Amino acid sequence: MACGLVASNLNLKPGECLRVRGEVAPDAKSFVLNLGKDSNNVCLHFNPRFDIHGDINTIVCNSKDGGAWGTEQRESAFPFQPGNVAEVCISFDQTDLTIKLPDGNTFKFPNRLNLEAINYLAAEGDFKIKCVAFE
Amino acid sequence: MSGKFEITNMNMKLGTTLKIKGKIADDTDSFIINLGQGTDKLDLHFNPRFSESTIICNSLDGEWGQEQREDHLCFSPGSEVKFTVTFERDEFKVKLPDGHQMTFPNRLGHSHLSYLSVQGGFNISSFKLD
Repeated sequence: MACGLVASNLNLKPGECLRVRGEVAPDAKSFVLNLGKDSNNVCLHFNPRFDIHGDINTIVCNSKDGGAWGTEQRESAFPFQPGNVAEVCISFDQTDLTIKLPDGNTFKFPNRLNLEAINYLAAEGDFKIKCVAFE
Repeated sequence: MSGKFEITNMNMKLGTTLKIKGKIADDTDSFIINLGQGTDKLDLHFNPRFSESTIICNSLDGEWGQEQREDHLCFSPGSEVKFTVTFERDEFKVKLPDGHQMTFPNRLGHSHLSYLSVQGGFNISSFKLD
């Protein structure tokens, strides 16, 4: 998957919200937002799959701890469309990450790495980041 | 913010405008916004210095180019500000928080910028590419 923008030293703290807005490619198959400490320590691997690896319109989430993947979690909600602008807001606390989807619905993913700050954001695949805000 | 806020693998082409919002730290003497290809290849080094009441711009291509000074320091420590940088073939157009526009030549002649960093007393709250 094509590597996109990588941001480091974000210093996002519990209770703060990271808002990411971008354009989903018209022929999108899949994109990824990774959040964490660095590329090997990812507390949230957020992977909307339009049509890839046998998944259709499914969000797959996971974590990576010291380079090792955890257990996948799947969400049936899929408020993304190829060719559209999409915005997600991500916040976290000791227990969970909370992901707010473009339709306003939220879901949680466990904060398995117990990170005290999120310093790393990387995008991959069919999503072009246009705006990032820390709130 | 501790450390240097850094973005790599950015896709900023000619004609793109970058908007950066943030808060200048209360007790800072200066901050830096760099745009370029990487840490040692900077097309625009933008460095407001409060102690000297000036904004210094430069380019870095292995070694520093000639400094350009702009004595239009229309912002101060502690304030929330927005900078707008438009990347064009010949020059960068930098719009300061009060609307004043300064320019800096595109000396390195690149048509693509992949690197952004923010250092010193500036806490970035958002960035936007249009």
